[in-house]
Amino acid sequence: MTVGELQSSSETAAPPELDGPFSTRQLLRVDEAMRLADESTGLTFSIFVGGLDEPVREDAERRHRQLADPDRSVLIAISPNQRQLEIVTGQHARRRIPDTYARLAALSMVAAFGGGDLTGGIVTGLDQLASHAGKGC
Amino acid sequence: MSVTDTLLVFVGIPAVAALVIAGVAYAASSRGAGGGGKRYRPGRPFDFTPVWFLSSPEALVDSAGTALTAGAQTPALTGRKQEQAGQQAPAGGTGGASDRW
Repeated sequence: MTVGELQSSSETAAPPELDGPFSTRQLLRVDEAMRLADESTGLTFSIFVGGLDEPVREDAERRHRQLADPDRSVLIAISPNQRQLEIVTGQHARRRIPDTYARLAALSMVAAFGGGDLTGGIVTGLDQLASHAGKGC
Repeated sequence: MSVTDTLLVFVGIPAVAALVIAGVAYAASSRGAGGGGKRYRPGRPFDFTPVWFLSSPEALVDSAGTALTAGAQTPALTGRKQEQAGQQAPAGGTGGASDRW
């Protein structure tokens, strides 16, 4: 599953069994966190876990531009091999989530990643970013 | 009790109990919620196919990103400073944060 679409939580079908880094339970946690973040803020959150080409920041921003609505999207790009995390907020999204708060969320995420907990870090980061963004319009 | 009975009761039962508990613990750890047995640890290679979570099907321009022209402008890092002189940011630019562990 390279570019994956996670079914929205309204579907009753279980997520496909991935031979990937996340177990089903972890996928469900991430899915739920993303759904809550999207619904409470009105922004679109997406998470990329995989290798990023050098320079890492530009590759993350390039992927962010591939989204349907980059201005209102937040991309969290995680590269476990390079051990780098990039949070990219679109033009509209960055007014809701200032860079300072993105930095704080990144700090808590890497604290979890450093302990080897990918899912926990992702869920924590989504939760922090969504609560900083506040209610959407 | 005879010697054999004593040995069986006081040595055998604890040994069997220890083996059972160890077996259950091993089975639980290898098949637990640890990524299907391949839990990520910092420093270990991450060989999985890249995964991109999206909450709903999004229209992507080009999965390889080749839709951008060769002269594509490099956006500024945080919108407050230019990465290098001469590279322009697209209108608005993007924000966010970077970090590493």
